[in-house]
Amino acid sequence: MNRHFILSATISQPGLNDPAWASSALAAAERAGIDLVVLGAPNSLPFDPIVVAAWAAPMTEKIGLVPCVSTAVSHPFHAARSLSAIDFLSSGRSAWNPVAGSAHSKAVTEDMVLAARSLWDGWASDALIIDKETGRYLDASKVRLSNYEGPHFKVRGPLNAARPLQGHPLLVCDASSPFEAVGTDLAIVDAQQATLPNTGCLRRAGLNPDLTALVAGFEAGDIAGVHWEIDDPGQDIPKIAAVAEAVSGFRQDMQSGATLRERLCLPLAEQLVSEGAFA
Amino acid sequence: MTKQIHLWAFLQGIGHYPSGWRHADATPEAVFDVDYYKSIGQLAERGCFDSIVFGDQLQSRGANGHTPERVAIPTLDPIVLLAAMGAVTDHIGLVATVSTTYFEPQAVAERFATLDRVTGGRAGWNIVTTAHPASAWNFGQDEMPEKASRYARAHEFVNAACELWDSADSEGNAEPVQYRGKHITMDGTMPGPVLPQGRPVLVQAGQSPDGRAFAAATAEAIFCPAPTKEDGIAFRNDMHARIAAAGRDPEAVKIMPGLSFILADSEEAAIAKDEAVLDLADEALCIEYLGESIGFWLGDHDPKAPIPFNDIIAGTEFPAADITRMLEKPAASGIALGEFASGHVRTPRGHTVFRGTPQQLADRMIDWIDSGACDGFTLQPAYMPGELEIFVDEVVPLLQKAGRLRLEYPGPTLRDTMGIAA
Repeated sequence: MNRHFILSATISQPGLNDPAWASSALAAAERAGIDLVVLGAPNSLPFDPIVVAAWAAPMTEKIGLVPCVSTAVSHPFHAARSLSAIDFLSSGRSAWNPVAGSAHSKAVTEDMVLAARSLWDGWASDALIIDKETGRYLDASKVRLSNYEGPHFKVRGPLNAARPLQGHPLLVCDASSPFEAVGTDLAIVDAQQATLPNTGCLRRAGLNPDLTALVAGFEAGDIAGVHWEIDDPGQDIPKIAAVAEAVSGFRQDMQSGATLRERLCLPLAEQLVSEGAFA
Repeated sequence: MTKQIHLWAFLQGIGHYPSGWRHADATPEAVFDVDYYKSIGQLAERGCFDSIVFGDQLQSRGANGHTPERVAIPTLDPIVLLAAMGAVTDHIGLVATVSTTYFEPQAVAERFATLDRVTGGRAGWNIVTTAHPASAWNFGQDEMPEKASRYARAHEFVNAACELWDSADSEGNAEPVQYRGKHITMDGTMPGPVLPQGRPVLVQAGQSPDGRAFAAATAEAIFCPAPTKEDGIAFRNDMHARIAAAGRDPEAVKIMPGLSFILADSEEAAIAKDEAVLDLADEALCIEYLGESIGFWLGDHDPKAPIPFNDIIAGTEFPAADITRMLEKPAASGIALGEFASGHVRTPRGHTVFRGTPQQLADRMIDWIDSGACDGFTLQPAYMPGELEIFVDEVVPLLQKAGRLRLEYPGPTLRDTMGIAA
């Protein structure tokens, strides 16, 4: 199977509230070859990341949009629905990083992930027919109630949003606000921190990383890529661009038109595909 | 100066008519694509509209757990849609419907603050309390709180959100806001800088006495159905009295009734066009649509048989008294289910449909404004985007020529465009 050396970066400055600052930072990130931009951080949400991701969707073409979703202020019905909309409006580039808000535990985050997935699985990917001639808009046998009941959230469904283009948006876990869910696509971990089983590891790095060690880690399958915190886009992003250049032999071509999962070689986990299948 | 007309485009899915998606000029596949929203946002700006408004619901369509097959669903989350549209437009206002019953004020305040900032001050909030009982089941409740309690919460919710927006600090060092009400307990802070508009424009659409009282106390613009000019005058007079009683200036609040339309070069042609769109609503669609309206799935009932009144009252998801009031008379008349359903589709959501020429529509709009029936209109094109294009190309120039509609935007924010002070 093909692999892609993933370059990921967090922007959590209040500057993302300013359209001029935000559009220039996002354009620079995309130009540099950054694959994933994480909007906000577990301890820094000076804007609503969902709104910033939605606003960024038509301004960008290839970059994956990873809003932090705080379980303190969100509900799975709203989260599932807004992420579905971002996935459609970005042609399949949505991801999310659920973070536990203050006084909220890991268990709430895990419940949120499972509830959101049950809502996305309420619609088959081929539910819509849209045949003007016969007047049949959708196939009702491909829409179902979720009837999800977890320790914190209870959601009947169906969601009033179609299944995202990617099936489920990419799921990213920041190890500083950890949760455990089967099929987590990527985890952001510190330099010495252990990786998670069956989850791609994005290793936190400085702006002048040891490239030989990172490439060796990627080739050995220890890491899926690198993650940075961007303090100053003007200074930091060119350094990331240099890393992108250095590891270009381990990166797939960024074809526009492909979804984020396709481009990063991260298909939806098989267990999640079968759980979501319609009989 | 002659009184100016404010224009909103109320865009829900693929148009106002349940059968609108089947029209030859409708583009139902496009409603999942960002390019469609870019083009209609820019179309509305070309028409110098004040704002785009997206409605919202917190349940999927249908009844008793059945999803209709012939109605165009689902739609995209309105605030996400408007944020994306904000990135590809420069002037148009962006009014999103968000419920106070199934959100928390901190989250809503942050959402609109960010929307207002990234769009340079173009956000508006259509405040709703959510009425459909199936919404409760998506949020872990067995039943919807009663209307009076929903509105009491809405009052507190809006106050708490306003306190958060007002606390925003340019340096990003906002003081914590503590709110203690009967329905809302909040210990919040407003992250990020002051909103360009201070607060988003507050919009309300309630019709009941509770809804009107709430609008009188909080709304800066009001959306309502007004089937006739007289209905519009009566509603506006009533709201003006309520707004004055609440200690606010009635003239500062814009009343924006819904206006659905089908336009053609002659009245006869418009009627024929309307009938052709209505004909696309086949009996099966009408029965699904009626079932959704009454909260009872009718798919298993014979369209040729009388309305199954007793079954409906026993099985409806809605308060039985409301449905009894709606169906008692037609059921007693013995009308067949299919025939009744087909009639019901002709007045979607209680709004009437204007059928005529662009000149007739422009004349009528000016007449309503000069008669004190409204301050502007919430346009609800029967199908999208074709009918909105005709309005922008043919009605807008007439309104502009008559000196009733701006030729350019007066300033960067929605408040500037609507003439609503912060």
